[in-house]
Amino acid sequence: MDSKRTKIAVIGSGPAGLAAAARAAELKIPHILFEAEAHLSNTIYRYQKGKHVMAEPGVLPLRASVPFEAGKREAILGAWDKGAEQHGVNVMYRTEVTAITGSQGNFQISTALGEIYEADFVVLGIGLQGNIRKLGCEGEDSEVAQYQLDDPDEYQGESIVVVGAGDAAIENAVALAARNKVTIVNRRDEFDRAKEGNNSLILKAIDEGRVACVRNAGVGSLVVTGKQKGVITLTTPQGNVEIPCNRVIARLGATPPRKFVEGMGVTFPSKDPVSVPAVSPKYESNVQGLFIIGALAGFPLIKQAMNQGYEVVEFIEGRNPDPADTPLLRKKFESIPGFKDVDSAINRIKSNIPVLAPLTPLQLREFLLDSDIRTPKAGTAVFRRNDYSDTFFSVLDGTVNIAIDPTDETKTITLGVGQFFGEMSLISGRRRSATVFAGNGAVLIETPRRSMNKLIASVAAVKRVLDETYLTRAIQAKIAPGVSAEALKDVVGTATVQRFKAGDIVFKEGDTADGLHLIRKGSVTVARNIGGREAVLAYVPAGQYVGEMALITDQPRGATVKAAIATETIKLDAAAFKALIENKPELRQRMSGVVKERIASNASNKPDDSATGNMVAFLMNQGLGEATDVLLIDESLCVRCDHCEKACADTHGGLSRLDREAGPTYGSLHIPTSCRHCEHPHCMKDCPPDAIRRSPGGEVFISEACIGCGNCERNCPYGVIHMGVTAKKQPSLWQWLMFGGKEPGNYEVEYEKGTPKKATKCDMCKDLPKGPACVRACPTGAAIRVSPEKFMRISQGAA
Amino acid sequence: MAAASAKPSRDIAHTGFLHHASYRWAKIAVLICIASIIAYVWHQPPDGPNGGTWLGYTLGTIGAVFIVWLTFLGARKRSYRGGMGTVKGWTSAHVYLGLSLVVVATLHCGFQFGWNIHTLAYVLMMLVIASGLYGIVAYARLPDAVTRLRESGTREAWIDEVFDLNDQCIKLADKIGPDVHRKIVASVDKVKIGGSLRSQLYGPRNVAGFMDDLNATLMARTALLRSNVEAFNPANTAQNTVMFMASQVTSMDKGEKESTRLQQLLDMVARRNALVARANRDIALHARMQIWLLFHVPLTFALLAALIAHVVSVFFYW
Repeated sequence: MDSKRTKIAVIGSGPAGLAAAARAAELKIPHILFEAEAHLSNTIYRYQKGKHVMAEPGVLPLRASVPFEAGKREAILGAWDKGAEQHGVNVMYRTEVTAITGSQGNFQISTALGEIYEADFVVLGIGLQGNIRKLGCEGEDSEVAQYQLDDPDEYQGESIVVVGAGDAAIENAVALAARNKVTIVNRRDEFDRAKEGNNSLILKAIDEGRVACVRNAGVGSLVVTGKQKGVITLTTPQGNVEIPCNRVIARLGATPPRKFVEGMGVTFPSKDPVSVPAVSPKYESNVQGLFIIGALAGFPLIKQAMNQGYEVVEFIEGRNPDPADTPLLRKKFESIPGFKDVDSAINRIKSNIPVLAPLTPLQLREFLLDSDIRTPKAGTAVFRRNDYSDTFFSVLDGTVNIAIDPTDETKTITLGVGQFFGEMSLISGRRRSATVFAGNGAVLIETPRRSMNKLIASVAAVKRVLDETYLTRAIQAKIAPGVSAEALKDVVGTATVQRFKAGDIVFKEGDTADGLHLIRKGSVTVARNIGGREAVLAYVPAGQYVGEMALITDQPRGATVKAAIATETIKLDAAAFKALIENKPELRQRMSGVVKERIASNASNKPDDSATGNMVAFLMNQGLGEATDVLLIDESLCVRCDHCEKACADTHGGLSRLDREAGPTYGSLHIPTSCRHCEHPHCMKDCPPDAIRRSPGGEVFISEACIGCGNCERNCPYGVIHMGVTAKKQPSLWQWLMFGGKEPGNYEVEYEKGTPKKATKCDMCKDLPKGPACVRACPTGAAIRVSPEKFMRISQGAA
Repeated sequence: MAAASAKPSRDIAHTGFLHHASYRWAKIAVLICIASIIAYVWHQPPDGPNGGTWLGYTLGTIGAVFIVWLTFLGARKRSYRGGMGTVKGWTSAHVYLGLSLVVVATLHCGFQFGWNIHTLAYVLMMLVIASGLYGIVAYARLPDAVTRLRESGTREAWIDEVFDLNDQCIKLADKIGPDVHRKIVASVDKVKIGGSLRSQLYGPRNVAGFMDDLNATLMARTALLRSNVEAFNPANTAQNTVMFMASQVTSMDKGEKESTRLQQLLDMVARRNALVARANRDIALHARMQIWLLFHVPLTFALLAALIAHVVSVFFYW
């Protein structure tokens, strides 16, 4: 075999191509790895210096002959260079492939140097970055234009125009703005294509004037006017804008090198410029022997691409390896009684649990990787009422018993194979509404909130089943106990999910009462017009309902109900419900009883003045409708000693997580800037390492896994998360009392320059046995922690 | 209408330190006082009540233990991690048990006073208690006053606004004329917020001298500006910048533009002065809330020293 003939030709040395070549080298299969640049993996090579590279999806094991784990760009590239050398990967650097013809057994690969190589198989791992979108105007290749930013600190005092609205453009613009005058040019009006954290990052930077922004703008031309000087002309609906600048950095993404790939005979499924070629489960394209892996095949994550590189060589060799996650799944499934092998276990899960049936095999595997199998002994509690856990359980085998009466745990209803529970807390973000005991032979699949939410968002059928079950159970639990799910079918069928923004009216006093609203998410306030002014009578959190009188009477609405925060309710149609109780006299009687009781309690609960209502309205306006536990300060008792802040700092590495003085005040009730432990925490939304968790006690906290990306700081609407470095050692109280020096809780934390900052927030002192230090340290009793249920009492001065 | 609220998961006691636990420590303190008084009346030692009888020693021991324990509040309230109970409970006990010392210590000495170390300890103790009493009054009354003064603003925001107004005033004054400009710049220099303890408590010293000088210049300008002056009476003219600007506005011969500018300047100077006054008032309230500790704490340590001397001298030299 001459040097220009090989078995496997790998094009592109990115994560996918490198992994394929390394596996081939490891197996001593003749191969050539073609790389156009002088180094491996150009895309990652050109990442911003020191960039933290993620290893998502975290649970997926890596199966490649070269190592990869989350870390700095430099460390990853270093490990790959070393790996390639160790295995003796045959790399042809600076060899750009210009064309590939032929099929399995006789591929011809032409290079830019005019040479022709021959191969039996071709593995195409060229990614998308080779085809970067340019400015598309005159001057796009001039020295002023660039499509890459290695190190934002390289430029100082320059005027720089960043073109683009994606993550890369935003990250570049904000990083450059620290030392340069930066203008970001967006073709559209919004930055919503970027990650949520980056969206708020750029909006804040624009708002604060750190970055200038031109929206709805196209690039007309770029004219060089001197050494590293130019003028960019932007076309906007208001006319042309000329910006003199030293540098234009365009971050417009990349498209598949379609012409090149089509030249090989590969077809694309659509004309959309971002569409990628279709491949078989073994990554083979429509050209026999030509395999496509990595981003070009639609798998943009590094770890996935590397696993594909490994697998594709196995496929070429005629083997059929198990998917990479099989050993992990086997370990999980081993506790299932009668476990044989992973595939049959997955099939059994699919056939036993209808809610998981609509998932694709890939989705189901990922779902099960995130989940845990639990086999609790009969009679033990899976979780208890008022626990603050939010996982979701499916019953694979056996039974569980749900205690329906909080006063008598022996009254239960039984769930069998294929059913699920725990959806109430998952949906409402509130504490568990009932205790669940394991029955005989229970095998449960426990799935974390994050994976469940991902599933709900991507599989519509799952969402529908969950919603219906949630509603049926809520009706059974709160309105019509003892009525079977079958009998409620018609009522549930009429139910609709309604969404309200904060401040939207759910229904108005005097409206025709047409149904009951079960609050699925969020919370509402109930107000009545008293003496021409709106007085808030009550705050109703998720899991409860409003408007139940409509179910038995025809009277118009007696109060106005408003969403306190973004809220979802399930509206139950009154007519359908009336039809249900028509022939159920006990239920009708029970309902009348409930309504009578409610009327009586409302009458006694009526506020004697509008001050209480105004106070509740104030608390709601501050977003406390979504709080589960909030720090309030009674300013009539607060002597401004700041011991709350010092206590917080002393117990949390010298950094206080609360700002006593900041925040609004109404009457003498002050809401300091401090975490409210939201029902559906905004901070959790976009945490790459999934470091923000809710503990069983309800506290939302940030674990050690924090990578310091700052997304949570930007996502928190209440400004209670800060990036900082905590002190390892706390100053001694006695040393300070006797000799002075650092005062506990009141000193600047010293740290080495360059120490990475991590996100810090209130964890409600979950690790201190006696509870929140801020409250315990208050000498006068001004600081209190309150859950929203107590707002009415607080405002009446009763709590 | 609405669903019944869930059962409280954690009890919160939203009461101030004086009401803590339904006046638990007040009740205990009263009981201690009553018991001491009954014992004192019942106990009739042959040589009259004094610190040397068994009752005297008992009351003295109680008093000394109380004083040491009360001093310990300073450490307890900074033990953020652990410590028994809540600081609020400790403060409550501190207040009531501290007050009970008036009775306990007085009965301990059997009303025997003189020019000696023993009476010195007693006097120091009473001074500590008196300063503490002021503290209770301050803690009860001042927090509300601060909140009312703040009206949801913050001192930092006021000061920022003062700086901002100063800049605007100078810019506007520049357009009006050099003498007004000079005066405004001078008045900007005279803005004082906070300062020494004395200034914090009573506000910065009166800048009367400056105001007189300001007035003289401004009056000259006023006279110049008025071409059809009525009787110009220096005694009635402005006492400060605000009044000067007011008289400028009312002068009839000014062009409309200048009159508007003067009105704006007047408003801004008035707003600035109000903010400065408010910030100083806020500082004063905060200072008054803390000032008593400057007596209470050092006096406590003096008391401890005197107490040790008292105990040692009693045991070794009595």
